[in-house]
Amino acid sequence: MTDIIVVEGLSKSYGHVSVLRGVNLRVSTGEVYGLLGPNGAGKSTLLHLLLGFLYPDSGRIRIFGSADLEAQRRMIGYVPERQRYHNHCTPREYLTFLGRCDGMEIAHLRQRIDELLELTGLSTVANRYLRTFSKGMLQRFGIAQALLNDPDLLLIDEPTSGLDLDGQQELLTLLNNVRQRGHTVLICTHRLAEVEYLCDRVGILAHGNIALEVNVADVQQKIGGMIVQTGPLDLPLRQRLEMIGSEVQCEEQAVIISPHNPESQARVLQTLLEANVTIRALEPQVSRLAQIYTRTVRGEPVDNLLVENPPLPRVVLRETTPPLPTDEIDPLLKRLLRQNRNRSPDQKDSKQ
Amino acid sequence: MIRQMTQAVLVAGFTLLEYLRSGRIFLELIATIACYVILLRPTSAAMNASYLFAVLGIFGPGMAVITTGFIVGLGDRPQNYIVLTHNVSRDAFLLGLFFAAVIVTLAMYGILCALVALFNRATDLTLFGWTLATLPLILNTGLVAAIALLLSPPVLSAGWRLFVLALIALALSSNVISGPVIAQISEINPLLVDLLRAIQTILSGPLVPVFYGYQLSVSRAFDSAPAWANLLAQCLLLLSFLGLARYGFHRRDLIFSV
Repeated sequence: MTDIIVVEGLSKSYGHVSVLRGVNLRVSTGEVYGLLGPNGAGKSTLLHLLLGFLYPDSGRIRIFGSADLEAQRRMIGYVPERQRYHNHCTPREYLTFLGRCDGMEIAHLRQRIDELLELTGLSTVANRYLRTFSKGMLQRFGIAQALLNDPDLLLIDEPTSGLDLDGQQELLTLLNNVRQRGHTVLICTHRLAEVEYLCDRVGILAHGNIALEVNVADVQQKIGGMIVQTGPLDLPLRQRLEMIGSEVQCEEQAVIISPHNPESQARVLQTLLEANVTIRALEPQVSRLAQIYTRTVRGEPVDNLLVENPPLPRVVLRETTPPLPTDEIDPLLKRLLRQNRNRSPDQKDSKQ
Repeated sequence: MIRQMTQAVLVAGFTLLEYLRSGRIFLELIATIACYVILLRPTSAAMNASYLFAVLGIFGPGMAVITTGFIVGLGDRPQNYIVLTHNVSRDAFLLGLFFAAVIVTLAMYGILCALVALFNRATDLTLFGWTLATLPLILNTGLVAAIALLLSPPVLSAGWRLFVLALIALALSSNVISGPVIAQISEINPLLVDLLRAIQTILSGPLVPVFYGYQLSVSRAFDSAPAWANLLAQCLLLLSFLGLARYGFHRRDLIFSV
């Protein structure tokens, strides 16, 4: 695969504040690359350097093999973090202006604008002024303008910034559609869910450099499960617990319920209490990428998270010895335990 | 080159659309009408052409400073990152802003002239005379717009702006240099004053076409070769300032104001 973006030893500072220090980055054709980093890490600065808005202090940038970044912009679509557009015009007027700047023929441009307004769900508001748009609509308009001249490379800065949950979900679905069209995409974000949903590879920008690059598939783990941290579990008990359901897996001192199933969780807890086993903590399962990101940003080692079968996280939130009395368990769990006890054997069997 | 000009015209058109719809143009309209009411309204005495062009010669450049400031303000916004990613070069973008500023200024100039023609026509002015006198004024207006563009935040950093302003101040300081303060300094350090005078002479050189252009529009004496040569000098000066603005804009990081 050809590298569309090649960045070598890129440094940039604003006055005395050094933002990027010798960044190296390569993004290949058709790849969706996520650039993760905390606020102020220099993600937007890197995008502006790629677009030729900023000049590097040192280092080299090549896009489509050329160092003339201004000339390459015609093959790049850009969605900025802050959705600020010329508010006194309609999406159709705006897209017509931008398309004409791109040198598109009027007939083709009209057709393309209709397609994009349809794709982004803005057809019904195509003649309304942009100042009347909500954040979510503006974000979708941002995608439409970026795709206008069917660019080979898309640079997207914080796509779901400032959106409510529905807006985020809508936009991620839209971006996933865009991704499936084969565009090469570089997404800057600090939201792990976006990266896990959209990206093939991720680079973590921290301390002025790409501190770590990983393939998302290698570190992706089913999330949404629960981990019950326990005392030592003997083999017969582990076998009994794993009989509860396929989502229950046991380790020496932990039970993992993934994906999360309240019923299984209640039965696991009940079994553990009956067996008089110490329950140290009950915690949500955290994705490995989240752990890798947090540690990288803090400058801590992540080697043990990059092995093929990593050990489970052993963060102990609370320890109770002797075993947790039933009345101290979370009210919701208590209710589930009660429901489970009251259920008739027939009902239990049918659920199993 | 043709592509750049096309893009510049597109940027100018779009900027003007935004300018009109945002209502900013009303400020210029009010200023134009105020200028008419205060300086050019019908009075008991008939107005002559020299007075009219003396007023218009100051109105045009003054309006150019105000309008260029507003238009550059529209250009210096993060919205324009989007415009620039759509294959608009820095040159075309800057030129588009310049065109927009000049078009608005000339529109106001036209409105003012129309008001005068309708309600207080100058006694000794023909259409041909108006056209001739307008030529150097248009060039002066463009020139001032180019200088205002050069001195705008996206083009020059604060330090360079101060430096260029200091040079312009020095070029315009002939009265100060021949004044009593300088005479006192001359007694202490004659070399310094000679140096200042030399710098002032060099710097004021480029301003000669501007002032001569103004005189030409007031006198409308286009019957000599220097008059036409001055128009050429004004054009060259305008291009030089635009070239300087382009150079400054190219060298800077594009960090639009939030």
